[in-house]
Amino acid sequence: MPSEYEALVAALKLTSIPFAEYGWKTRPEGAYGVVQLDFESGSLDGDGTKLDRSWEGSVDLFYPKLSDREDLIDEVEETLETVCGSSWYLNSTQYETGTGLFHAEWVFQVMDTPEDEPEEPAAGSET
Amino acid sequence: MPYEVNVDGMREVAELLDKLDKEAPRVAAQALYEGAGIMADAVKSAAEGIRTAPFKYAARGQTRPPSPEEKEIVLQASAGIARFEKNGVEVNTSVGFRNAGYAELKGKTVPIPVIVNAINSGTSFMSKQPFVRKAASSGGKQAIAAMSKVMEAEFEALTK
Repeated sequence: MPSEYEALVAALKLTSIPFAEYGWKTRPEGAYGVVQLDFESGSLDGDGTKLDRSWEGSVDLFYPKLSDREDLIDEVEETLETVCGSSWYLNSTQYETGTGLFHAEWVFQVMDTPEDEPEEPAAGSET
Repeated sequence: MPYEVNVDGMREVAELLDKLDKEAPRVAAQALYEGAGIMADAVKSAAEGIRTAPFKYAARGQTRPPSPEEKEIVLQASAGIARFEKNGVEVNTSVGFRNAGYAELKGKTVPIPVIVNAINSGTSFMSKQPFVRKAASSGGKQAIAAMSKVMEAEFEALTK
């Protein structure tokens, strides 16, 4: 799991909006969010390995009151900006006539760079 | 003392540039046709990967996956390629379900883009499976490579 994604999940769970990964077993009343990693969107390959991998994921926000819109959207976007920098965009906004819920969806990209192996000390060197 | 400078072949270069200018929109459209076909195929193959479960109304506060009938509608519609719009040497199109029309689902007529959107973005009662975004991500590189190949071959033929 990319560490940047884990950081995003942790940061979203610290907001005032209840967030769950990959959906809720039973969703809460009022506004709520879902965050998930969707697929690997690219990689930088070299030396027969994947040096960098990038993943695409999405944040979904459902809210019943249009008056809450700005505060909720600001909260999600500030979190995305803090963790993902500029690698995110608002993909769609929708309204569900059946449930009366508003739905905003963001797409983000996170990188997974394997940490460098610590170099072995040269033979004979003092530690 | 006056100098005279002669450059050979400038007329040929000018003629070639003129020819390229005239032919560019045709070459671009041909390349775009190839690229759009690859994108449409990528969307179709991504749609084949949609996970389904027999239809059951989602319990209160829960989500359900798309039903096999909904998936079948998406597969039957497949992604369409919009009419090519030419603007000088620029040619644009889009691949998607925007004008896919309507389908019968549980005795109701439903717009196909609504079904695609519900699967792709998810709703409060349907879990999301972003197959169009996945296709755009995986098919994009392939489409660009195929378009470059068409353009290179065409321009090579023109410059011979």
